[in-house]
Amino acid sequence: MFWGLISYLKLASTYIWLNLNAHLEYRGAFLTQVVAMIVNNLVWVTFWGLFFTRFPVLRGWTVQDVITLWAMAATGFGLAHTVFGNALQLTSLIVQGQLDVWMLYPRALLPHLLLGRMNATSWGDLLFGYGVYLFFVKPDAVHLALFTGLTVSVATLFVGFNVLIGSLSFYLGNSEGLTQQWRNAMLTFSTYPATLFEGTVKLLLYTLLPAGFVNYLPIEALRSLSWIHAVLAVAGSITVLLVGVYVFYQGLRRYSSGNLMQMRG
Amino acid sequence: MNSFSKYTWIGLTAARSNLAYFGEVASRGIFLFVILYIFLQLWRITYAQTDAEQLGGLTLAQMLWYLGITESIVLSSPQVALEVDEDVRTGALAVQLIRPLSYPLYRLWTTLGERTVRFGLNVAIASLVALLFVGTIPLTFRGILLFLAVLPLAFVLDFLATFLVGLGAFWLENTSGLMLIYSRLTMILGGMLIPLELLPENWQPILQALPFASILYGPARLFVHPDLSFAGELLMRQGVAIVVLTVLVALVYRTAVKRIHAHGG
Repeated sequence: MFWGLISYLKLASTYIWLNLNAHLEYRGAFLTQVVAMIVNNLVWVTFWGLFFTRFPVLRGWTVQDVITLWAMAATGFGLAHTVFGNALQLTSLIVQGQLDVWMLYPRALLPHLLLGRMNATSWGDLLFGYGVYLFFVKPDAVHLALFTGLTVSVATLFVGFNVLIGSLSFYLGNSEGLTQQWRNAMLTFSTYPATLFEGTVKLLLYTLLPAGFVNYLPIEALRSLSWIHAVLAVAGSITVLLVGVYVFYQGLRRYSSGNLMQMRG
Repeated sequence: MNSFSKYTWIGLTAARSNLAYFGEVASRGIFLFVILYIFLQLWRITYAQTDAEQLGGLTLAQMLWYLGITESIVLSSPQVALEVDEDVRTGALAVQLIRPLSYPLYRLWTTLGERTVRFGLNVAIASLVALLFVGTIPLTFRGILLFLAVLPLAFVLDFLATFLVGLGAFWLENTSGLMLIYSRLTMILGGMLIPLELLPENWQPILQALPFASILYGPARLFVHPDLSFAGELLMRQGVAIVVLTVLVALVYRTAVKRIHAHGG
C-alpha cells in the first residue's frame, strides 16, 4: 500500500512535469490563459469589494470571508485540474471511445487516466487563490496551514464530482450538455456565500450540488478555527470522491471500445 | 440580390440554424435560472438588511428584472472572437475573401441572427423567473419600444469589440485570454452584476461614458425605468462608440488582410 502510494506520487510528478512542459511549448498562449484566469477571478473579487463597500455585512459575512471563499474555491479547483486535468474531459473520452488507450497500461485505470492532461487555466486559479489569500486576508501560520489542508480537500471534492458527472456518459450516452450545466451550477454555487441559501436549496448543496463542502464548511473552519467543520469538510469530499469512483467503475462495465487508433506522445 | 437583402438573408439563415438546435440553446437556460436565483437571494437579503425600499433607484422587483435583462444580453453572446480566431488560424478566412460579400458584414449579420434567437429565449426564461419570484414591474409600450431601439445597437457594439478581439489572432498565439478579459470587463464595468448607481459616485460619469455601459447597463436600465432623455443620451453614446469602433475595426482588418498568404492546392 505504502509503496503503491509512493509509486503513484512519482508517476503524478512525472505527468505534472511533462504536461507543464507541453504547455510551455506554446508559452505565449499558456501565459495569456493563466493571466486571463487571474484577471477573471480578480473581477469577481472586485465585484464583492464594491458590494461590501456599499453593504459592509451580509448575514454575518464580511468581505474577508468572501475573499477567503474565492481563494478556497479557486485554489481547490486549480489544484484539482492542474494535476488531474482529464477529470474535465471524462465525458468526451468515454463518448469517443478513448479509454482504450488508457486500459493498455499496467496501472489502475482511473487514477492514471486523470493525470493525462493539465488544464492550463487552472494555474491561474491556483496562483490567484494563494495570491489573494496571502495579500488580502494575511493569515497567521495556523490559518495558512489549515487553508492549505482544506484546499486539498476541496480539490478532492472537485475531482470526485467531475468523475461522477463525467461517468454519466456510460449510462446516458453523450451527456456533454448535462455535465456542463451541472458543473457550471456547482461552480456558481461554490463561489457565493452559503448564508444566502436556506431550505431545500441548502439540502441540495450537500447532495446533488455538493457546494456546501466548498462555500460553508471550510470557510467556517477557518473563521472559527473549528476542527469539527474541517473534519466534516474532508469527510464530505472523500464521500463524493468515493461515490464518483464507484459510479465510474460500475459504468465502465458498459463501456464499448471505440476501435480507435491512437498514439500518445 | 442587393446588399441589404443578401445580408438580411444571412442573418435569417443564422437565426433558423439556431432554432434547429433549440434544445442546446435552451439548455443554457438552466444556468440563467441558477444565476438569477442566486442574485435574487443576494439582493433579497441586502434589501431586508438595509431596510430599504429602493437601492440605486430600483425596487427589489426592478432589480431582478434589471439583472434578468443584463444576464440575458451577456448569455446570448455568440462566440464571435473564437470563430474569427479559427477562420484566421485555419485559413478559412482566405476562402471567405473570394466570396462576393464582406467578411465583417457577413460575421455581423450571422451574429445578429444567432443572438436574436438566443436573447429571445433567455429573456423568456428570465421573465418567468422574475414573475415567479418577484412578480411584474410597471412596463409601458413606449418603454419597450425604447428598449427595442437601443438593444440592436448594443448587440452591434458588442460585436465590433469581439470581432476586434478575434482579429488579434493575426498577431497573437491565442485570443481566448483576451476575450475572457473583455467579457469580464464588460461584466463589472457594464453593470451586469450591480447597477452603476450602486458603484462609487466618482466612478459613475466615467463608467457611463464607457462603451461597456452602453451594451448592458443602458438597455437594462431603460427596460426597468423608461426615460426619454436617458434613451436619447444612450443612443448618442452608442452611436459615437459604434463609429469609433467601426473605424478601428476597418483599420485593423485592412492591416490584417494584407498579412494573409494563400497557397494553392
